[in-house]
Amino acid sequence: MAYHEVTYLFLFLPLVLIAYQIVPQKRRWCVLLLAGYAFFWSFSKSLVLVLMATSMFTHYIGLWLERVKEDGDKKKQKWILFFGVFVLLAVLGYLKYANFFVENVNGLLTAVGKSGMALETKKIAVPIGISFYTLQAIGYMADVYWGKIPAERHLGKVALFLGFFPQIMEGPIAMYSQTADALWSGESLKSENLAQGSIRILWGLFKKMIIADRLYYLVTEVFDHYENYSGAIVIVAAVSYAVQLYMEFSGCMDIVIGSGQMFGVRLPENFNQPFASKSAAEFWRRWHMTLGVWFKTYVFYPVSVSPFMRKWNKFGKKHVGKYMTKLVGSAIALFPVWLFNGLWHGPQWNYIFYGMYYFVILLLEVACEPLKEKFYAKTGTSETTGWWNVLRIAKTWIIIFTGELFFRANTLTAGFSMFASIFRGFAPERLWDGTLLRMGLDLADYSIIIAGCIVVGIVGHLREKKKLSLDQIAGMRLPARWGLYYALIFAVILFGAYGVGYQQVDLIYAGF
Amino acid sequence: MEELLTILNDVDDSIDWEHEEGLIDNRILDSFGVISLVAELDETFDIEIEASEIIPQNFNSVQAIYAMVKRLQEN
Repeated sequence: MAYHEVTYLFLFLPLVLIAYQIVPQKRRWCVLLLAGYAFFWSFSKSLVLVLMATSMFTHYIGLWLERVKEDGDKKKQKWILFFGVFVLLAVLGYLKYANFFVENVNGLLTAVGKSGMALETKKIAVPIGISFYTLQAIGYMADVYWGKIPAERHLGKVALFLGFFPQIMEGPIAMYSQTADALWSGESLKSENLAQGSIRILWGLFKKMIIADRLYYLVTEVFDHYENYSGAIVIVAAVSYAVQLYMEFSGCMDIVIGSGQMFGVRLPENFNQPFASKSAAEFWRRWHMTLGVWFKTYVFYPVSVSPFMRKWNKFGKKHVGKYMTKLVGSAIALFPVWLFNGLWHGPQWNYIFYGMYYFVILLLEVACEPLKEKFYAKTGTSETTGWWNVLRIAKTWIIIFTGELFFRANTLTAGFSMFASIFRGFAPERLWDGTLLRMGLDLADYSIIIAGCIVVGIVGHLREKKKLSLDQIAGMRLPARWGLYYALIFAVILFGAYGVGYQQVDLIYAGF
Repeated sequence: MEELLTILNDVDDSIDWEHEEGLIDNRILDSFGVISLVAELDETFDIEIEASEIIPQNFNSVQAIYAMVKRLQEN
């Protein structure tokens, strides 16, 4: 029962909305919590117990931290936080990474001729969304530790924060202060929230079903049979995957945020026109924003102000100068962020490589900052010069598409092989010799994809210029507003990639 | 305050520190700028800025930074 499926959209969500509205306000949180567990059950069955246990544990750690805080024992608080984070990461690590670890150890043993000592891998079932709710739980504990929020007394409120059904599969990763109160308040349904939520859901379906689910065929064909392709086709596949991932993940976020809005809960945004970014750093402020904010808040800044970094700053300033102090300091703070970012996506070497790829690029951007300033001073250009920004966006696109090639590749070796094949045989004629029409897509499909991307691009541009928002749509005249609703509904019905000739495509980020 | 302005100008002299009120919200100061600034503030004012203090409200303007430094010095 994923968010784009009929069962969710026409059965589960309406039923929860009705149940929510008819139950007294004081008990509405129970409806949302039960709905969360039912939704979770539909994917992970009895593993819902892991989510329940995580909620109880997180709630308990919060209360423990608060109790010790009253005694003023700072050291003990730190140990409790470490303990809480360690347990959550240990559960995540075991369920998600144990086999990866064993496989790599076995690989090493074989390499040194000790294959007889190889360990056995186990079949481990991983609860859906564990990577998302674990980060939310760690964030909650850290916020209580820092005194940003008081520990929550009611277990149900913490459980609901971790188990709100629209967020379970793909986030967004919220902080407790962002959603908990709205979830708990049980506000009655409002027509404007239902209308705005519906249009957001329709927009998400537009992106997912019209564009992403078509590109899936091309992407799967090239990445799964990469030995048969090179040059221009590989570039097309890498670009297609970046677009597919964006349309799918951001489309799913539209459905998720729209679902939340129907209940009056404003979930944090996860995307903000990422393809308009002029640097890799900006891209990560616009793409999967809640993951970026989480890493910045709970890893980057804590590492930046750690005793080790303080020592380095003092030492560096005396011995290596300001520039190197900043560069090395940035590297120390960035490395764990990008190592964990890569690992967070899953137990595969290409994800780790993907994290390290951005680590190097972001560090290069920091390193080149003085050079950039000199260039600006010498040429009279600036961050507002039009042609220069076009070049910067083009450069960022190349960085994004290359990164996504490795991210999607079936293995790291396959990623390198595909990347090398771009330069081996460019073969541009394969773009028009009919090769692209043998990938499960016909000319009509390509036309729909391009038209869909143009529509998304225009909407993105208007949103970037603050000329289009859900509030503005709500303020439109009745015929225009309903015209828009119907246009979206008919677009999805007529051009959605579903039914005969298409297959249902699973949500990519639900796998993380 | 003057000492603070000297540090801020040392971190980046292209920013109008005295009048800007959205250093973080308007992305004038990015996360690398923030950590450089935190290191300078720690050393100059002999304080320890914890990760929990690194929030937009404490870094959006020179007045907010000043208030945070004063508060941490008093604690």
